[in-house]
Order: sequence, then C-alpha cells, then structure tokens
Amino acid sequence: MNEPVVELDGITKRFGDVVANDRVELTVDRGSVHVLLGENGAGKTTLMNVLYGLYEPNEGEIRIDGTPREFDSPRDAIDAGIGMIHQHFMLVDPMTVADNVVLGNEPRSRLGFTVDREAAREAVTDLTARYGFDVEPDAVVEDLSVGVQQRVEILKALYRGADILILDEPTAVLTPQEVEELFDIFDELTDQGKTIIFITHKLGEALGVADAITVLRDGETVGTVDTSTTSKRELAELMVGREVLLDVEKPPSSPGDVGLEVSDLTVTDDRGVDQVSSLDFQIREGEVFGIAGVDGNGQSELVEAITGLDVPDEGRVYFDGADVTTDSRRDRIEQGMAYIPEDRQHRGLVMDFELLQNGLLGSQHDPDFAPGGRIDWATLRQHVEDIIADYDVRPPNPDATAKSLSGGNQQKLVAGREFERDPRVVVASHPTRGLDVGSVEFVQEKLVELRNEGKAVLLVSSKLDEVQQLSDRLGVMYEGAFTDVVDPDDVTEEQLGLLMAGQDADGVTSVPAGDFEAEAEVGR
Amino acid sequence: MAVARSREVTTMNRKAIALVVVAGVALAGLVSVAFFPAGSIAAVVAVVDANYLGAALRLTVPIAFAALGGIFAEKSGVINIGLEGLLIIAAFVGIATTYTVGGGQAAVWIGFAAAVLASTLFALLFAVVTIEFKADQIIAGLAVWLIALGLGPFTARVIWGTVNSPSVPTLNDWTVPVLSEIPWVGPVLFDANPTVYMLLVAVPLSWYALNRTAFGYRVRASGENPRALDTAGVNVSLVRYKSVLISGVFSGIGGAGLALGQVGQFIGSGQTMVGGRGWIGITAYLFGNYNPIATFGASFLFAALDALQIRIQQIPGLDLPGSLVRIVPFVIVIVVLALIGKTRLPSAAGEHYDSDED
Ligand SMILES: Nc1ncnc2c1ncn2[C@@H]1O[C@H](COP(=O)(O)OP(=O)(O)OP(=O)(O)O)[C@@H](O)[C@H]1O
Ligand SMILES: [Mg+2]
Repeated sequence: MNEPVVELDGITKRFGDVVANDRVELTVDRGSVHVLLGENGAGKTTLMNVLYGLYEPNEGEIRIDGTPREFDSPRDAIDAGIGMIHQHFMLVDPMTVADNVVLGNEPRSRLGFTVDREAAREAVTDLTARYGFDVEPDAVVEDLSVGVQQRVEILKALYRGADILILDEPTAVLTPQEVEELFDIFDELTDQGKTIIFITHKLGEALGVADAITVLRDGETVGTVDTSTTSKRELAELMVGREVLLDVEKPPSSPGDVGLEVSDLTVTDDRGVDQVSSLDFQIREGEVFGIAGVDGNGQSELVEAITGLDVPDEGRVYFDGADVTTDSRRDRIEQGMAYIPEDRQHRGLVMDFELLQNGLLGSQHDPDFAPGGRIDWATLRQHVEDIIADYDVRPPNPDATAKSLSGGNQQKLVAGREFERDPRVVVASHPTRGLDVGSVEFVQEKLVELRNEGKAVLLVSSKLDEVQQLSDRLGVMYEGAFTDVVDPDDVTEEQLGLLMAGQDADGVTSVPAGDFEAEAEVGR
Repeated sequence: MAVARSREVTTMNRKAIALVVVAGVALAGLVSVAFFPAGSIAAVVAVVDANYLGAALRLTVPIAFAALGGIFAEKSGVINIGLEGLLIIAAFVGIATTYTVGGGQAAVWIGFAAAVLASTLFALLFAVVTIEFKADQIIAGLAVWLIALGLGPFTARVIWGTVNSPSVPTLNDWTVPVLSEIPWVGPVLFDANPTVYMLLVAVPLSWYALNRTAFGYRVRASGENPRALDTAGVNVSLVRYKSVLISGVFSGIGGAGLALGQVGQFIGSGQTMVGGRGWIGITAYLFGNYNPIATFGASFLFAALDALQIRIQQIPGLDLPGSLVRIVPFVIVIVVLALIGKTRLPSAAGEHYDSDED
C-alpha cells in the first residue's frame, strides 16, 4: 500500500508574475484516497492541471510509478493512466452518455471511420456493472442531474484506462445523498486498485474519506498529514496560517419591519410545470431567512423572481411594502437589493472583463460612479481596490481579468461588490460555494453583520450547517413549496433531511412564515 | 432549466416550421392574386413540370453545397460566413481555367478541379487567420467575401478586358439508362448534371459523417465544448482545420457546379453570377437546423422559388418583380428564427479555443 504511484517533485508554475505553484511536493500512494486542501487560489487546480498535462510546469519533475514523465498534453497523461474530472464538467451536453464516454477513443467499425455505437454502449454498461453505479448509456447529458453527470465524467476516465483519478471539488455541487454515493464509488474504485486524488474545501469530508491529506498555501506545500492523527482545527490552521472560527457567532436577532415579502408566488417553467407554487413568506429587517432544500426544488426560480430576472406567473413580491413584482433589475438594484447569484461565472461576472469593470456591474447608472453617464474611473478604481482589500481578493490586482482568478476569489469579488452597495435587502444564493474555510468564515460573518445592521437577508444554500447556523428562521423547500418553516436552533439534521425529502418530521416545531404586522398591508 | 428548453425547442421547431411553410405558401398565393390576372395563375401552375424540377435541382447545387460546407465549419465552432466568397472564387477559377485550357469535356473537368482547389486554398487561408491567429470569424468571413467580390471581376477584366467572360463549354449531363425513362422522377434524377449527382451523394454522406463517424463526433464536440475534446486528448485546432477545409471543398464544388454545370460563363457585374447563393446557403442550414438532409430540403425550397421566379418572368403578360421573390428565403428565415427563438447554435460557435492559460 505504501508504494508511491504519483510523485510531484519541485513543481513550479507561473502565470506571468503570479506564481501559482512554488516548488510543490506531493507523493500519493497506490490504492489510496489523497485529499488536496488549501485556500482559494492556493494553486490546487493548477497543480492538478499540471499533472494532467493541461499546463506545462516551468520547473519540476513528474514521476508516475517511479518513472519521470513529461506531459505535453492530456493525451500523454491519459496514456500514463491519469484521468481528471474538472470542477466544471467537460461534457458535450447534446450528446448521449455513451457518446461522451467514448469521445476521443471511439470504438470503430467499418473501415475504421464509423463509431461502433453498440460497442460504446456496452463499454458503458460493463463499467457501470463493474464499479456498481448506474447510468443510462443512451440518456442525453443535458437531461441528467449534476450528480449523474459527474459519474459520466468518472466513466470517461475509467474508459480510458485511468488508474489515477483526479477530481477537482467533486462534492461542491452535490447533495448530501449524492456525496454519500460518490464516496461509495471511491471505495469500490480503491478496492480495485485505483488511486484517487481529490480537492475539497470541506474538512469533514477530507477527514471522513481520505487516507492522507496534503495542504497547500500560497502555492507552496505546507505539509502532508495522516488522516488518523489530525483534526479539523489543525487542518484549518494549516490552510489559513491562523486560527479559524469554525462556528460563526450570532447575537439574538431584533427584527424590525417586513423588508421583503413574497406573496402567493408561482413560477412555471417553459413546459408549464410549477417550479414554485403559491409560496408565501416574509423576511423582516434584521433577520436571516434561510431556505434549505435539495437543488432543483424551485430555489433558483424563486430567487430569479425575487431579483427580477424572471417574472412570476402569479403572486407578488414586495420590497418594504412596495410592489416590485414587475420592476426591472435596475429598479430593484436602485431600491437597494444586493444579489449573489449561484452561478458566478455566468451571472455574477463578465469573465473577460477586468476586476475594475466587474466592480461597476450593477452600479453603471449610479451617479457616484458614472456622473452624467461618464464613468469616473478614479472613483471606481478606489472602490474596487477597497473591495479587493476588504474581501481579500487574490491576486490584489484590479486590472487582472476575472477569468484569471481562482473560483473562490471570483466569488469573493462578487460578494464584495454586492455587499458594498449598502443594500436594504440581500439575496444570497449559495454564497460560500467553492470558498475555503477562511473565506467561508468571512462571508458568513459579513452576512450576520448585514443582518445585525438591520438588513433583510434571504439565504439559499444546500449546505445544511450553513443555513442552520446563519438563519433565524428556516424554510425547507420541496417541489416548489415549503414542507415546513422551522426554528433552525430547534431542529436536527435528520429532521431537516426528512423535510427536504418532502416528508413529515416528528417533533419539529414550526414557526410562522410571515404575517408579522399589518404595516406591510397598509403599504400596498 | 436547460433540459426543459431544449425539448421545447424541438417540438416547437416542427410546429413552427410547418407554420412558416404554410405562411410562405399563403403569402406567395396572396402576392400572385394581387399581382396577376386570374388566368395567369393557371399558367404559373402549368410551369411546374419535370423540366422545372430539374432546373430547381440544378439551382440547388451551389446553395446546398455551400450550406453543407457551412454546417461542418460551424458545427466545429468556426462560423464561416465567407461561403459566398468561396463560391465566387470557385466560379471564377473554374471558368478561367476551362477557358485557358480550351477544348472539350476534359478541359471542363480540369477547370472543375482547379475551382475546388482554389476555394479550398481560400478556406485554408480563412482557417489560418481564424484558428491560428484568432481573428474574429465574422470579420474574416466578410473579408473573404469582399476579397472574392473584388478579385474575381478584377482578374476577369485583366484576362478578358471585361468583367464577364466569354462562354465556355459546360459539363454534359449524365443519363442513366432505363431509370431515366421513369416518368417525372427519371428526367429529374437520372438525366442530370454530374454536379447534381455529387450533391445527391454528398447530402447523406455528410449526415453520416456528422452523426455516425468518429470525425463527426469530434466536429460536434469541438463546436459544443472544445475543452471537453481537448481534455479527451483530441487536438481541437486540427478538427477545426479539417472542418473549414471541408467547407472549402464543398463550396468549391458548389461554385464550380454553378459555373461549369449550368452557366458556362463568369459574370462579374454586380453581385457576380453567384448572386447571394452563399448567403442563402447560410440561411438554408440555419433553417435546416444544421441537419444536412433538412438543409438540402431548405436549399431545394429556395432554389425552387428562384426557378419559379425565372419561369414566371417568361410568362407573357406577367410582371412579378424578381427582387420580391428573391427576398422570400430571408424573410422565411427571419420569421423562423423569431418564432422558434433560435435554431440551436453550437454553444462554442464563434469562439476561439486556447488550450493553455485560459
Ligand atoms: N490561467 C490563469 N492565468 C493567470 N493566473 C491564473 C490562471 N489560473 C490560475 N491563476 C492564478 O493562479 C493561482 C492559483 O489558482 P488555482 O485555480 O490553482 O487555485 P485553487 O487552489 O484551485 O483555488 P480555488 O479553491 O479557489 O479553486 C491564483 O492566484 C490564480 O489567480
Ligand atoms: Mg480550484
């Protein structure tokens, strides 16, 4: 078992002036599960891209099974038995599972031109049978849930004969149930001699499944620890270099007037199916209202209706008592709404823009930044530099493009821009997805701070511990409606799990979803 | 949700296309009633015979070949709006070579080969500029068109002293014995120009190549998610080069088919003899939603309208403005695109792909 299969020795990778990996050392044993931990921008993804032949290292050596190898392209890495499942899946959406799996290594028939689709289908069924998970070979990828798409990615790697599987934040987008299933697959794979390297920000997971954990910080290796001899606290400290509060402190709330109200809201999709059905709730100023639920139960549609990205089919949305149901995004922003979208790369940022320009998005009509319609670049630069400093965006360069930032740092920039609008209502959709423990702490503290300042905060998250810790009231969403609204301090994870599955949970005390005072009525 | 939408589009697609075709026919009917005395409608209907269908099929050749080429390029992620230019180059080189070589059918075939070669070289140039040097595809495509539009007539003037060439022989029709005797179908399909046969082979072959071969898989992946292809160990640039070259070869056949299969002369005035057929090719593949078979159908529809227009001009006492008929394909496409929202464009069409540091 202690036979090293991957050895990275003194790997350095630079992007211009940025040193993403600085003489990194990593040794992974055959048949083990090895976790890479590190803050956002620590260089984890870069290191794995080097191992997979996507980036050429400036210095250093890669050894597979003791033999030094040079990878000019993923093809070389694949040939050496390495497979990678990226943070953003590399699938061709309109093609079927089998087609995706064989892409690039298609089984051929008839003169070698034609793809043998039967063989492709069989290859998929053989693999799924062997590793004990089920995926329909003829399903079209875009119809599949994220968890199943991930399995398609794993199948792709296995089909290419991968012995070493690299997964970049595989659990960030999965439901707790799917995470369990993924770890079962890991077990099966390592039992059959495969090696797994995966990146995560969730310390509990790392401790739960890893045999060894390597921590990176600022592009350097901090060290490798044995899972059996470490703790969350130690790992967090290794990552961040200081002590981290794993629990956010939250004083009792002192809620005021109703800040945001959703009344009898129904949103249907293109097929006419209700995604949100007759939902009612109110959020008071100085209160965090959390929404828990398995992704795809209408949370996204609800948020789109509240933020003005979509018009609801029925029902109203009120902002401080004023009906904003049909107001534009711009109107809502001007009335003080901050919004952290769940998909930061598509909705939160323009990836090819610099941080400076991204910092202006949403404020382009604000006279502070654009007096008389002309952008005041000096003021904007000052503002963006403040955000970068306060939210610890790295690298701290307003002229870098958004796409050159690591995922976590992109999220910090979006959070900074939105929170600094001085909003009255905050809508945060998975605000800490992909963030490292230090940044999670920071964003969560910010949310609590906004609440303490008397803002109405809507928090949608699939992280149970997060919604439980931060919310004052917690709605559990299932198929477009609340199964229950509960006091988060008075509910267990098991009970939440049941509620999320649309079932009743015994012994849960419900709290009202709204109807706090008549004042909101008067405002109408 | 993406899932819901894509399904929606397919079912809506069919409905909308049906609707548009009906609307198109109704429109044509209205126009004819408004413009012509009742008696002439019978004359128009009488125009539709086997001869007419044969002519429509010949007119389909340049449109459909350009469209098929465009499908390959765009499916791979490179939008080639230079198709019109490639047709012009091919038409010009085909005629000029045949003229220079002189003589019978052999000269025409040499001209044909030269036309395909010239168009392919132009496509290669376009590929280098867009794939290697990452020039904007739309601008580079427009450049191909504008260069061809200038170069063709200019060189014609140098050679012949005028923008129009003298007449040269054209490719003889091939008659398939027995089959050509079948009424209606026979004269249309089995007594036709060689370029028509080429098209009838190219259409199913293209469909097969795109949907059943490994190359086709890679072309589609390259246009949808080039990173997926790259990480699967396939060279994205190479796939795109091949696809753009295919568009060059096909446009070459299309341009040569027009010049050497039918017209037998290079006409360099105005839009040149190609007269927007490359553009119609683009609308045809959008209308056909990148499916070679449907695209062939759309090309035939547009060509048939064109042929109809030509015939109608010949009916005495009728005065239908040809320019009105010529806009019909574009109107249909705009209506289709507006109605369905959109034809499903390959997700990465128009985007450069950079494997490193991106
Ligand atoms: N293509 C690129 N061009 C320029 N800089 C880059 C590029 N890719 C990464 N970087 C920089 O390299 C550093 C490491 O980035 P990397 O994506 O490896 O971080 P990470 O550890 O995966 O972070 P996260 O947890 O946020 O995903 C960051 O500072 C990032 O800005
Ligand atoms: Mg990363």
